[in-house]
Amino acid sequence: MRPRFSSTARRDGSLSVRRKRPASYEEARGHIAPCASIGGRPGIALSRRATRLSLTAALSLVTTLSLTACSTSGSTSSITVAGSTTCLPIAEQAAELFKEETGTGVLVSGLGSSAGIEAVSNGTAEIATSSRGLNEQEQSLGLTTIPVAHDGIAVIVNTANPVKNLTVEQLRDIYAGKITNWSEVGGEDIAIQLVNRDEASGTREAFKSIVMDGAPFDRRAAVLSGTGQVRDVVSRSRGAIGYISMGFVESKYATTSVAALSVNDVAPSEETIATGEYPISRDLYFFTKGEPTGAADEYIDYVLSDEMAPQIREAGFIPAGSNEKGGE
Amino acid sequence: MASENLNAAEQAEVEQPAAAESAAPRKRDLALVSRSTYMKEKALQYLFFACAFLAVVTVVLIFAFTMMQAAPVFTDIGLANFFSLTWAPTEGHYGILSLAAGTALVTVGALVLGVPLGVGTAVYLTEIASARVRALISPAVDLLAGIPSIIYGFFGMVIIRPFVAEITGGLGFGALTAWFVLAIMIVPTITTLTIDALNSIPMGIREASFAMGATKWQTIYKVVLPAAKFGIVDAVVLGMGRAIGETMAVLMVVGNAPVIPESISSPVSTLTSQIALDMSYSSGLHRTALFGMGVVLFIVSASLVGVVRLLSKMRKKG
Repeated sequence: MRPRFSSTARRDGSLSVRRKRPASYEEARGHIAPCASIGGRPGIALSRRATRLSLTAALSLVTTLSLTACSTSGSTSSITVAGSTTCLPIAEQAAELFKEETGTGVLVSGLGSSAGIEAVSNGTAEIATSSRGLNEQEQSLGLTTIPVAHDGIAVIVNTANPVKNLTVEQLRDIYAGKITNWSEVGGEDIAIQLVNRDEASGTREAFKSIVMDGAPFDRRAAVLSGTGQVRDVVSRSRGAIGYISMGFVESKYATTSVAALSVNDVAPSEETIATGEYPISRDLYFFTKGEPTGAADEYIDYVLSDEMAPQIREAGFIPAGSNEKGGE
Repeated sequence: MASENLNAAEQAEVEQPAAAESAAPRKRDLALVSRSTYMKEKALQYLFFACAFLAVVTVVLIFAFTMMQAAPVFTDIGLANFFSLTWAPTEGHYGILSLAAGTALVTVGALVLGVPLGVGTAVYLTEIASARVRALISPAVDLLAGIPSIIYGFFGMVIIRPFVAEITGGLGFGALTAWFVLAIMIVPTITTLTIDALNSIPMGIREASFAMGATKWQTIYKVVLPAAKFGIVDAVVLGMGRAIGETMAVLMVVGNAPVIPESISSPVSTLTSQIALDMSYSSGLHRTALFGMGVVLFIVSASLVGVVRLLSKMRKKG
C-alpha cells in the first residue's frame, strides 16, 4: 500500500534511524553530546578570538607600518589605542583628524576598559581608553592618567512615564529593590521594571560607586549586555528604568526615544556635568605606560586641544578642558 | 623500500593466522586478493579507526580539562557554597542552584510546548500527509534545524519579547519568552527522530488495526504511538538535551537575573547563559565556578546520552 512502510522486518529502531537519516540523527546527538559549557562557549570564545585576531592583525599591521616607517623617517608613525567602548567615538574621531593633520595612523579598538588597561600594561597598545579610574591592582602598573572628558550617566525611563525627577536616595532604593512601584515616587501605579548592565560594564561600575553607596543591586533586575539594548528596551516598556551614558540618550541612529530624569532636581546637561552639579558623572581617561612619548604624546595633545572640543561635544561628552572654566 | 614493506606485511600475514585462530578465516579471505589491495584495506581500516577514535580522545580531553579547571570548586569554594542559592561572584557567593532551577524551568516549559508540536508534526508527516504536502513540510523542518541559534535569539528578542511584554506587562525577558524560542528550536530534533521511530513500525500493525475496523485516529493513538513509544521518548530526551545546552538564544531572551524567578515572565538566568555572560570578564574563583557549572552540564548531558542508549537497548529487546 505505502512503499515507505514496506520494509516490515525493521523493528530495530536505532539501526534504521542511523541508516535512514544519518545526518539528522548525528546532528541531533551532536546538540547534546558536547557539554553545554562547550556548546555555549564557542559563541563567546569565537567572538573574543575574533577580537583578539583582529587585534593581532592590527598589531602586525602596526609592526609592518612602523617597520616601513622606520626605514624612512626613523620614528614610529602609527599608534594603537584600545579600551572602553564608551570612549570609542572620541578616540575614533580624533584618530581620523589626527591622521589628516599629521599623517600618523592611529588604530582604535573598543574592548572594554579593563582590556585596554591590560593591553597598555603589557605593551600591545600605546594608549588605553577607560570609562573608569584605575583600581587598586592597576595602580601598581606605573600608568600615567590623563583625563580627557567628563561623562554623565543618565537615568532613563519611557517617554510615557510622568516621573521627571528622582533623588539619589530614591534611585538607590529603586535599584536595591526597596521601591518597586512608580506610585511610591509620584508616578503611575505600575511596577518598576529594573534594567541593569552586566558586570563587565564600566557604566555599571560607575553607577554602583556613585549611586549605590554600598547597597547591593536588586538581583531580580534584567541584566543586559549593551548600552543600545538598555536604551531600546526602556524605550519600549512603560514601567522600565535604566541608566546609560549621557551621550547615548539622544541617538542619531535609534528610531525610538527615551526620557532622561533629573537627579536631585538637576537635569543632566553639559553644564551641570562639567560643573559637577549633576550627581552621576564620571571622567573618561587615557592611560599610557609611563609618560607618553612621540606620536602617542602628540595624539593625546590633539585629543585635549581646542580643535577636538567640538567633536567631543558632538559625541555627547564634555571636554576635560572645560573643567578649568567651570572650576573643580 | 616498497618491497621490504610488502615482505614485512607478508610475514605478519603468515604469522598472525597462526597466533589468532579465530580471526583466521577473515584474514585468509583478504589474503586471497593481491598484496597491494590488502595493504590498502588495512591502511584504510586504521585511518577510519583513527577518525572514530578522535571523538573518544576529544571527549576525554574536554572532560579532563573542564574537571581540572573546576577542581578548586571542591577545595576553595566548597560544595556547600557551590550548591547554594545565591550567585553573586563579586561577593564570594558561587551558588548555582538558582541557575540550575532556571535551566530546569526553561527546559521543562520548552518541552511542554515543543514535544506536542514536534510529535504532532511527525505523526502528520508519516501517517496523514500526502506526498506533496510532505515534500513541502519536511524540508521546512530540516531548515529549522539549520538556522543558527543566534538568529533564533535575535528573533526571540525582537519579535517574541515585545509580544510577551505586551501580554504580561513586564519587560518580556524571562522564562516564557525562552519557552517560545526553545520550543521552536527543539521541534526539528524531536520531529526527525519521531519520524524515524514511526517509520520503523511495521506496516502490518497498521493494516491489522484498520482491518479490525479502527479509524485512522484510533490507529494512530492506540496502535502506532504506543508501538513507537521508546523511539519517541528517545526523541524527547535528545530535544531536552538541546534545550538544556542552548546558550546564545537563551542568553538574549531570559534577562539574566540569577535568582529564582517570581513568575514565568520575570528575568531568570540559566547555567549556560550565565557561563556565556560571565566568561568574558571572570577571573580566579569566579572562572573556576563557571567551569564547575560546565562540569555539572557535562554530567547532565552524559546522563541524557546514557538514557538514550538504555532506551535503544530496550527497544531492541522489544
